[in-house]
Amino acid sequence: MARRGLAAVAGGAAVAAALPWLLDDFLVSLALSCLMYVALATSWAMFSGATRYVSLGTSAFFGLGAYVSAWTVAAAPWPVVIAGGALIAAAFAGLAGLAILHLRGTYFAVLTFGMSELTRHAVTYGEKQYAGTVGRVLTVAPSSRTVYLTVLAIAVAAVGVAVVVRGSRFGLALIGIGADEQRAQTLGVPTRRVKVAGFALSAAFAGAAGAAMAVRWTYIDPTAVFNPFIGLQTVLIAIVGGPLSLTGPLLAALVFSLLAEFLRLQFPYAYLIALGILLIVAVLYLPQGLAGLWQTRARAERPTAAR
Amino acid sequence: MMRVLAIALVAALVLVGASLDTSAQSDAPPIKIGYAISRTGPFAPGAQATQEPSYILWAEQVNAAGGLNVKGQKRKIELVSYDDRSEVETIVRTFEKLMVTDKVDLILPPWGSTANFAVAPLADKHGYPVLAPTALSMKLVDMKLPNFFSMLPQPYVLMAAAADMLAANGVKTVAVIYMDDVFGLENIAAFEPAVKAKGIEIVDKKSYPLGIKDLSPVLRAIKDKNPDAFVGLTYPPDTILASKQSKEIGFNPKVFFTAVGTAFPLYKQVMGADSDGVSGIGSWSVKTSPAAKAYFDAHVKRFQKEPDRWASAHCWAGLQILQAAIEKVGMDRKAIREYIASNEHATIIGPVRFKGSEIQFPGTVGQWVGGDFEVVWPANRATAKLVVPKPAWK
Repeated sequence: MARRGLAAVAGGAAVAAALPWLLDDFLVSLALSCLMYVALATSWAMFSGATRYVSLGTSAFFGLGAYVSAWTVAAAPWPVVIAGGALIAAAFAGLAGLAILHLRGTYFAVLTFGMSELTRHAVTYGEKQYAGTVGRVLTVAPSSRTVYLTVLAIAVAAVGVAVVVRGSRFGLALIGIGADEQRAQTLGVPTRRVKVAGFALSAAFAGAAGAAMAVRWTYIDPTAVFNPFIGLQTVLIAIVGGPLSLTGPLLAALVFSLLAEFLRLQFPYAYLIALGILLIVAVLYLPQGLAGLWQTRARAERPTAAR
Repeated sequence: MMRVLAIALVAALVLVGASLDTSAQSDAPPIKIGYAISRTGPFAPGAQATQEPSYILWAEQVNAAGGLNVKGQKRKIELVSYDDRSEVETIVRTFEKLMVTDKVDLILPPWGSTANFAVAPLADKHGYPVLAPTALSMKLVDMKLPNFFSMLPQPYVLMAAAADMLAANGVKTVAVIYMDDVFGLENIAAFEPAVKAKGIEIVDKKSYPLGIKDLSPVLRAIKDKNPDAFVGLTYPPDTILASKQSKEIGFNPKVFFTAVGTAFPLYKQVMGADSDGVSGIGSWSVKTSPAAKAYFDAHVKRFQKEPDRWASAHCWAGLQILQAAIEKVGMDRKAIREYIASNEHATIIGPVRFKGSEIQFPGTVGQWVGGDFEVVWPANRATAKLVVPKPAWK
């Protein structure tokens, strides 16, 4: 399973890597958007889908990554900037996780949302006190092709890591926590350590994505990069795709990004309504997400094949 | 009988054919002008108050007159427009679509500083000139992009005018609040040295975050210090909040100045008679020129709402400059850019020219006087006399 999955990922990545040479700037931008949400939704599902700790904190990690990029992009080599974004976001998630991962359900979700607001205001305050500014201009920026390939690499890494984690002891521990945390603990899973590590790992990808995307905007300020919409959209995509599956969030990220863009360009006044209706339908009739479509079919086919 | 019918039919066909033929001759291909602007999301109220109505009105007026005169050909304008959802990434992507996929002839800028920061380098890379009516940041001007022109005077110009006005009216002490974003911070940085140079003391200075819901503690503290003037470097929601709450606590200094939004028709709708005597950033009124009055009337007639008395007219002036450039040098974008950069332009806000990206236009102060928003400073641009001290809240 893992080997076939990795082969499919490699194939998809090879196709995606060729796009900047085949398509025009706009379509490449659209592909970039898809890849960003692939990275965000896959890494979100890796932790939140498995453990059922629904995090609304993606925008905090994304924004931190964006600020790391703004602080360092003029001075440091590009891979260091991206790695810096990932590390800072992961370190922050680790610290925050130590403080809030003992809460469950709605309390955890609300706290992670509060955490991203807190981060936004903390960055605003810090920047104002020590730099005398709030927004940052990024005049040195790598080419848009480099940005695209970077986000592609982040998305591939997110999917690759998710595949590896699923088959590992660590991944089983995460699923065990999602199924019944107390039982997992009784059976000897160091739940606290596993949760913090999983939370930090998933935050690293959001941080890296933020660091890569920020250079496209020339100017960033806290309202733009700590946009709660980014976190909400990530959760929606993962839920519509099926948070427990691997392919679900991936495909949902592609479908959702393309559909949102198509609706925005073709039906400028109706697109939010259409999107809302689609989401309601998806949640009502596809409780397992898009992944439920092929998973149930596979389950239905299996007994027949055995007979 | 049949023959008569046949002849009539042939005649009719010839006539129709001839009329088709002439229309084909006079119809040169339209000029495609593209833009993305906020119709949804947090930027939408500003974009729809100040910017997009002018784009639509301009295209309709030009087309009603038969189009733009490009090298002896009349060419109509076809606007290609999209909603940008107030998201920077969507703005970047949509402008790439306009310039690269749709290959529009020209583009019009999005709304607000953040959006223009993202679009200006992109437009410059693809060689599209941009006349931005709602970009206010020296950082953007300092990027020295050859194709970027700012239609608004920058913070140091605006704040110098405000300081002049305060000093000329015997203000000795001022309290100031400002918003924690690029607008607030750049303006406070310009405001402090400007008032200090005039010997005015800043007795209180407080910042607040975007989206604040209660300013009364800050305003109470300011009221206790009893300054001659209050200056709020505010955005529309906080402009209204500061005004309402000042009235509630009975804080009525000699000069009450709030920044963005004071010149919006919305301000008077919300504040009613209390708007009287409130000053703010504004640069024109219907009394500025007959052309300004014509623009105002056309805007009200088409959209049943008034343009704002600050950036709306700068937006219209930018469109006038673009139109003049097209009719003078044709559709070559390089030539249009050269024309904009090197000439003085007649507009509804008066003659303007550019120095680098910066418009050469004086700082102005406006005030609600007798139910309308008028320019009150400097004297040579004033359309009404400044009222100091401000009358009491009603």
